[in-house]
Amino acid sequence: MNIAVCLKQVPDTETKIVLNSDSTDIVTEGIKWVMNPYDEYAVEEALKIKEKYGGKVTILCLGQERSVEAIRTALAMGADDAILLNDPAFEGSDSYTTALVLSKALSQIEYDIILTGKQAVDLDCSQVFAGLAEFLSLPYVSIVVGLELFPDQKKALAKRETEGGEKELIEVTLPAVFACQKDLNTPRYASLPGIMKAKKKEIKKLGLAELCLNPEHVGAKGSKLKKGKYSLPPQRKAGIKIEGEIPEAAAKLVKLLREEAKII
Amino acid sequence: MPGIWILAEHKEGKFKKITYELLSLGKKLKSKSGEELCALLLGSGIENLANQLGPYGADKVYYLEDEVYKSYLNESYTQGISELVKSQDPSILLAGATALGKDLFPRVAARLGTGLGTDCTSIDLDNNLLKITRPIYAGKVLMEATIPQTKPQMAMLRPNLIEISPVDSSKKAEVIKSKANPKKEDLRTMLKEILKGESKKIDLTEAKIIVSGGRGMKDKENFRILEELADAFGEGTAVGASRAAVDSGFAPHDIQVGQTGKVVNPTLYIACGISGSIQHLAGMSTSKYIVAINKDPEAPIFQKADYGIVGDLFQVVPLLTQEVKKLKSEG
Amino acid sequence: MEITREIFWNIGNVRILIYLLGLVPIIVLAFGLWRKIKLWKIGKKENRYDQIWKRIKTTLYYGILQVRTLEKKYPGIMHLLLFWGFVILFLGTLLIAFQEDVTLPFFNFNFFHGGFYLSYSFLLDLFGLLAIVGVLLALYRRIFLRPESLDNKSDDFFALYWFLVVLVTGYIVEGLRIAATKPDFERWSFAGWQLASWISFLNLSTDSLKTLHRINWWIHALLSFGFIGYLVYSKFLHIFSSPLSIYFRTFDPIGMIRPIPDLENQETFGVSKLEEFTWKDLLDTDACTKCGRCQDNCPAWQSSKPLSPKKVILDMKNHLVEKGGLLLQKKQLSPEKNLIGDVILEDELWACTTCGACMRVCPVLIEHIPKIVEMRRNLVLMQSRFPSEVSLFFKNLENNYNPWAIGFATRADWAKDLKVRLFSENKDIEYLYYVGCAGSFDERAKKISRALVNILNQTGVNFGILGTEEFCCGDHARRIGNEYLAQILIQQNIETFKKYNIKKVIVSCPHGYNIFKNEYPLSGYNLEVIHHSELIYDLIKKGKVSLGRTLDTPVTYHDSCYLGRYNEMYETPRRILKALCSDLKEMERSRYQGFCCGAGGGRMWMEEKLGVRINQMRVEQAQKTGAGIIATACPYCLTMLSDGIKEKEIKNLQAYDLAELVELSLHK
Repeated sequence: MNIAVCLKQVPDTETKIVLNSDSTDIVTEGIKWVMNPYDEYAVEEALKIKEKYGGKVTILCLGQERSVEAIRTALAMGADDAILLNDPAFEGSDSYTTALVLSKALSQIEYDIILTGKQAVDLDCSQVFAGLAEFLSLPYVSIVVGLELFPDQKKALAKRETEGGEKELIEVTLPAVFACQKDLNTPRYASLPGIMKAKKKEIKKLGLAELCLNPEHVGAKGSKLKKGKYSLPPQRKAGIKIEGEIPEAAAKLVKLLREEAKII
Repeated sequence: MPGIWILAEHKEGKFKKITYELLSLGKKLKSKSGEELCALLLGSGIENLANQLGPYGADKVYYLEDEVYKSYLNESYTQGISELVKSQDPSILLAGATALGKDLFPRVAARLGTGLGTDCTSIDLDNNLLKITRPIYAGKVLMEATIPQTKPQMAMLRPNLIEISPVDSSKKAEVIKSKANPKKEDLRTMLKEILKGESKKIDLTEAKIIVSGGRGMKDKENFRILEELADAFGEGTAVGASRAAVDSGFAPHDIQVGQTGKVVNPTLYIACGISGSIQHLAGMSTSKYIVAINKDPEAPIFQKADYGIVGDLFQVVPLLTQEVKKLKSEG
Repeated sequence: MEITREIFWNIGNVRILIYLLGLVPIIVLAFGLWRKIKLWKIGKKENRYDQIWKRIKTTLYYGILQVRTLEKKYPGIMHLLLFWGFVILFLGTLLIAFQEDVTLPFFNFNFFHGGFYLSYSFLLDLFGLLAIVGVLLALYRRIFLRPESLDNKSDDFFALYWFLVVLVTGYIVEGLRIAATKPDFERWSFAGWQLASWISFLNLSTDSLKTLHRINWWIHALLSFGFIGYLVYSKFLHIFSSPLSIYFRTFDPIGMIRPIPDLENQETFGVSKLEEFTWKDLLDTDACTKCGRCQDNCPAWQSSKPLSPKKVILDMKNHLVEKGGLLLQKKQLSPEKNLIGDVILEDELWACTTCGACMRVCPVLIEHIPKIVEMRRNLVLMQSRFPSEVSLFFKNLENNYNPWAIGFATRADWAKDLKVRLFSENKDIEYLYYVGCAGSFDERAKKISRALVNILNQTGVNFGILGTEEFCCGDHARRIGNEYLAQILIQQNIETFKKYNIKKVIVSCPHGYNIFKNEYPLSGYNLEVIHHSELIYDLIKKGKVSLGRTLDTPVTYHDSCYLGRYNEMYETPRRILKALCSDLKEMERSRYQGFCCGAGGGRMWMEEKLGVRINQMRVEQAQKTGAGIIATACPYCLTMLSDGIKEKEIKNLQAYDLAELVELSLHK
């Protein structure tokens, strides 16, 4: 089975976020960049499929040069090939153009199944998986917490998380796109020989020309969602200790939860 | 044709609250642009539901009826909605940032070649241009955005943020029924089964409100008072435990919150008898609101809590349960 | 009558026969040793051939003076008796052979007579008796006292009985000879003399005596020869292997783990097969005398975990016996047995807290911890097999340079409202205060950092911190076996140290202390490292700090493994405490026998699922002293002990760091 995994490099979730001077973006200096955590589940699932059915795992990533680090993490875990989609024209992509570029690259390789994380933890848009499916005319299942394949029947059975603890079992024909959710599996820790080998692996680089794309259709130019100003949400107020006798304090707390926190 | 369209969500013969929230939002937007407010309803044999939307503000209800829409599938719904939208060309298309919406709208946006703002905390209109605000970086930053060049301008509203405006029972909506096109045989996905979760218990990672107990609970049986508090809050609540409680045998490992347990992100986290070790905080520090109840005023949890009560949890928790029940029954 | 005795008296002209016979056990012995050496050499190369004079001295200290063995009085004295008994008797016999085969034929020199003979006879009789006493003490211990540390296998008894019979028959031979020849000067052989006088009561004829003598002589000779041959195949192998393991010891401080050199260019990491150990590691398995002291002091074993250092070493030994022979013939074990998994279980490896007690009490200086860490290295770096909660620990270190998922940008927040300078903003700072991960992020440990900063400020010490440029020291990562991650952290810290040309470091955490002092030099950076207790004591001595007796409750001090056993710092913290309180109690297990808190070896980041809680055991030990305060010098010990107190719900016991206690006294 040929498995394609689309991943993204994002700031570590514990990063202290600082806005730049004109509030158009965050300051990228001093950030620790990591593989998007949801994509880790995608990579691990891909590796498990390869271990069970044989085949190849190809990593695709749209990003800046530094994204190579995240790609190497996937290679260290056991992925076979990797493609970095990098071009100045791709900068400022929204979900639409990201999916467009990725699907163009995907159409150049062989795949039986496409895996990706359900969302990237920087912009939290949660849309690329759908764009990939649409542009490649494939079905998809999102928020996948379980995946069983039947390669000879070209089918898969995916468990999709909905709401209130419910899950759906969806049967889908292959090839298809699956957006992976947390706890789909436990991503493996790369062995040191794996890390060493990954350092030497060649990562294919594709740009505008290799993908035969029109610069007007990609990057910020082609984006459908135009980003505006960034702002910081109101600071978490310092906590307060509610005074008074226990019964009063309890009543006061509940009132605060309703009025200030708007929870009840 | 201009129009503010919203996707109406329903389940088991009733509309979900988000539908009313969307209509209330739609009314506000309508007052700025003057376009008509339409609801999109997909399903099978739910005509009676279609008639209920007028009082909430809908001018029109587009009701797509077909056997194929009986259960939700992104394939069939995308097909139906996209074709209708292409034929009617509304300027704005909204849905709730619910499980269904988040699964469906990204595909619809890609098919229609338009922009979509997901999980928005605010949606407004300025000169017929949709202005949305959405949280990014796990809510650490807010981003404004617009969809200036394509139609419809699509956005998804985060549930529980909009107040439902007063109902006008005299208002009636025009229901436009249409047959859909997707054939079941053409579909490549199929819903095989719905697995219901355990009656009231939802996964900690999905819970909106978590009541959690620590070493101070002293006994397995005492967790009952936490369950009562959780139940008092209603749906979407769960009970968690700190590692100390799990290690002492007061609670099973699968509800352990913390670095070596589950990492949770509820709107409200109530920590009862939990001291707040770093390992525990690592599992719940992104909670929107943290309440701490502990006998020890020096407990580190108070540093991270928004509201704290220094006291005996066996006194405080039942009283809280009482108060919450009182407040909820008052409406 | 001449004061001597005839060699081979009453036996006849059997010299050639005896020597030929004697050759057999010698050949057997030599062959056995040679075979053992070949097995040890299956291991990898390691240079332990340097510092010859230092090695000789240490062998004398631990092998002859047996300082470690004597740390336990009963077995220590027992062994001394056995040891010297055997040595003196053996040398005595050699001496006679020396005369018969060298000095007499070549130099016509005979010394075995007169005064020399009398002293010789007395000495041998004395030491032979002492040896018998030793054997009886040993048997008594095994049969009646039955300590847990000893496993009483048949070989143990067989060896003791054989030795005993050799000794006893020797006296019988002497007794019979003296009874038959009755020379007066033989009073000097007082034991034989006494035995002879008892034999005389039997009123046997001289001929009968001579016959008995001859019979016993042959029995004694054959048994003795047999014993020599048996040595290498029994536990007495340690006669050869233990001095070797002492001679070829490591001079590294206890617990020191060496970096994997040239990491980038290695293909395999750690040890997963017997042959990947060094020859010294394999020699260690044969040096073990199964005394069980390591086990007695191992916190894992004592808390019912599956790990026993003794078992690890002996399992390795059995594996070497099984597999080694086949390996020498270039064959494989069939069915294949995995070192990790079949011979030694993963649970055993992960249970180790690297406290170093095993290595500190081992009389023959076996190195348990490096073997365990090498196997962990293989599990982590090659197989990615480790307790699942550890992967989160690794991830956090990789992404935020601390073990908790806390943004590295907040590392200096604990010092926000304190007077603390950053190296990045100030020049001319004398000391780096390396706060460490616990001191920067853990709420309880932050109190230690704050207390220390107050003390430093009040006494005018010129110090600064690295703030967000400080990374985890790498200790826990290295102990768990993730040498790759450890080296990344170490190199990053070294870059920063170089950047600010840092020479002196104050630490409040023994893990940082140990790795900066003993292991960072191997990675290319030398520092003067000062533990905060040393600093505080220094300030007290210089009069910069005066302490009143502030603690009115008894205090007991918990020795941190990485400060105490690893770096032999036992007294300085106690001196500080003595200045602070009037009643300093000692726990039963203290100083070099201190009982680990359970957090070391990376165990802080693992769940303790098996056995009893180590930290609770330690807290119980503290409770027994009647103390109201446990004083610690390590943030992890503090966390573990505080947790233990809470878990056991002990009312009148609290745990505090030395810095906190001193700061309290300053304020008064």
